[in-house]
Order: sequence, then C-alpha cells, then structure tokens
Amino acid sequence: METQPLVTIIPWTFIAQILNLFIQMYLIKRFLFKPVNEILAKRQALTDKEISDAREAKADADKIREEYEGQMAGAKAEANKIISDAKKDAQDQADKMIKDAETAAHDIKAKAEADIEQEKKKAINEAKDQIGGLAMDIAGKVVEKEIREEDHRKLIDDFISKVGEAS
Amino acid sequence: MNVEINGAKIFARIPTGIPVLGDFTINETLVVSWIVMIIITGLCIFLTRNMKVEGISKKQAIAEMLVETANNFIRNNTGTNKFDKLIPFVAALFTTSVISNLISLVGLRSPTADLSTEAAWAVVVFIMITSAKIKAGGVLGYMKGFTEPIPVMTPFNILSELATPVSMACRHFGNILSGIVINGLIYASLAVATSAILINVNATLAAIPFLDVGIPAILSIYFDWFTGVMQAFIFSMLTIMYIANAAEG
Repeated sequence: METQPLVTIIPWTFIAQILNLFIQMYLIKRFLFKPVNEILAKRQALTDKEISDAREAKADADKIREEYEGQMAGAKAEANKIISDAKKDAQDQADKMIKDAETAAHDIKAKAEADIEQEKKKAINEAKDQIGGLAMDIAGKVVEKEIREEDHRKLIDDFISKVGEAS
Repeated sequence: MNVEINGAKIFARIPTGIPVLGDFTINETLVVSWIVMIIITGLCIFLTRNMKVEGISKKQAIAEMLVETANNFIRNNTGTNKFDKLIPFVAALFTTSVISNLISLVGLRSPTADLSTEAAWAVVVFIMITSAKIKAGGVLGYMKGFTEPIPVMTPFNILSELATPVSMACRHFGNILSGIVINGLIYASLAVATSAILINVNATLAAIPFLDVGIPAILSIYFDWFTGVMQAFIFSMLTIMYIANAAEG
C-alpha cells in the first residue's frame, strides 16, 4: 500500500485537520459544555432561590414572633386589668354587701325599737284604760254614787295623766 | 533484519486538479482523526445523557468535573474570565491531542504522528495569537511591536514570531514520532532477541516473538502515556499562554 513520507505536510490533510479541529470544538461545545453549563446554571439558580427563600422564611418567622410577642404583652396587660377589675368589683361588692347589711341591721333595729315603743304605748294606753276603769270603779264605790263614764271622761283623763306624771 | 518506519498509509487518492494543493488523499491520519472525533463526541453525549440538577449520577459527576477542570485551567492560567470563549477550543485541542496520542495503544496510527495535523493546529493557534495582538494594539501597534526595542531587531522579531507555530508543531510531532520510532525499534529488537535465545531450542518457537508480549507495554508507559498526555498538555498550555500574553499587548 502506498504511504506518504514520514515527515511531510500534505495540504489537503492540513486543511481537513483545521476543519476537524473546529468541528470538534463545536461538537464539544454542543454536547459537553452546553448541557453541563446549563445544569450548573440551573443548580446555581436553585441554590440562590433556596437561600433567598430561607431568608424570606426567616424574615416571616421574625415578623410572626414579634407579632406574637406583642400579642403576649397585650394579653398580659389585659389579664392584669381583668384581675384588678375583678378585685375592685369584688371589693366594691363586699363593701356594698357590708353596707347593705349594716343598713338592714339598722332598719331592723329601728323597726324593733319602733315596735317596742308602739307596744309600750299600747300597753300604757291599755293600762291607762284599765286604770281609768279601775279608778272609776273605786271612785264609784268611794262616793257610792254612780258616775257616768261619759260625763266624767275629762275628769278621769286628767286624773290619769296626773297619775302618769306622778308615776 | 530490516526495520521500516513509514508515514501514514494512503487509502484513496482523489485528484482535484488544483495546482498547489495537489490530490486529496484519504489517508490513515484523516481516518483515525475521524475515529478520534467520533470517540470524543460519543463520550460527550454518553456523559451528558439524562443530566439532573440533584442526585447526580457518576457519569454526570465526571462530565461536570471535566467542564470545571477546563474552566479552571483557562481561568487560573490567564487569571481572568476574559478568555472563557476559548475554553471549548482549548478543550477540543487538548482532548483531540490526548486521544490521538493514546489511540496508538490500540494499534491505530496516531493522527498526531503526521506533521500535517500539528501544523494545522499550530497555524490556527498562530492566527489566534496574531488576531489577539492586533485586537489589543491595532494593526499599527502590532507592526510597531516588531521594531522594539530597537529597529535593528525587526528580522529577529519576525523570525521569533514565526518560530512560535513551527516550534509548537515540531515539538508535538517530534515527541509522538519518536515514540513510534522507538516502539518500532523495541518490537523489532525484542523479536530478534527472542529468536536469538530460542534458536537453539526450536526453530518454530524462535519465530514467535515471545519477548514482545509485556515488555513494550512497560516502555509504552513513558513513550505513549506520559509523552502523549504531556505533549497535549504542553500544546494547550502554550496556546492559552500565548493568547493571553498577546491580548495583554
């Protein structure tokens, strides 16, 4: 078989090898660099996205925590207010109850006193009547003369009142 | 016994009738070059099939590693991202060179054992260097660069400029060719040694070159593997260094 010289430059081979080199460059670019760089870019984008997502999530969490803390502080204040209100109400109610009780006791006492007074008056009046009748009987017996109660009512009353004053 | 080291075989000859270029020959260099291209492209397609963003396979990891290595190689050696456009070119140059050099291990003739191949690459690199220089300093700046530091130096500067592609091509070609020559000599001498040892035992056995099994493989670690990878590396390295230097002006 025909062979070319060991050290030589064949023009067509030379041109063909230049073309081959550029074709090879295109093929490597198309089949290795392009897909791999795409994947690398995608991965980069994914990583960036995950980092930004994480940052966003952290900011959200911080916001929620702040809100929650604010709410907690508000709730605490409210609870304190409720407790103090309740205490005040209870105190008020207790005071009112004591006052009511005092008033009631006072009323009862006053009523009892009034009742006693009335009973006393009634008893005195009854006593007066009885004493009047008794006096009339005694006087009648003393003067042996029938004294008409109606005629001498005034006299008797005077007497009784004098007796009352004297007693 | 005779040892013959020949150039690439010519399979077919297509007459073109163009005076200077001569006939287009389908030779070993071109055929093996196409095989190399098919191997590289097939490898690229195989490695980048079914790529995923997460949970990557081993072959995807290899593909990514190759791309990252190529990117880092260019960026570290030039120190900038300005030459990212050159990455596929240098990657193609390096892989083609490595696979071409190593394909001799399977018995094919390296396309790089033909000066036409290296000359083609070196000329492409030379054109890139020159265009980078012109881009950096303008045509006048480029011309003026030859007269520095003193106008007397002009012929030497032109010579050194032209020496760049010549030296690049010849360095690569010389290393690969020397590997082929030495391999041919070793095979032939070991065959002679085998027959010399066994000639007194049995004439038929002596005709089989037993020593050719194994021993050349050890030597090919240097002459094929080391030289092949080293020359590809040097060629790519020089390419990127020259272009980076040229672009700096």
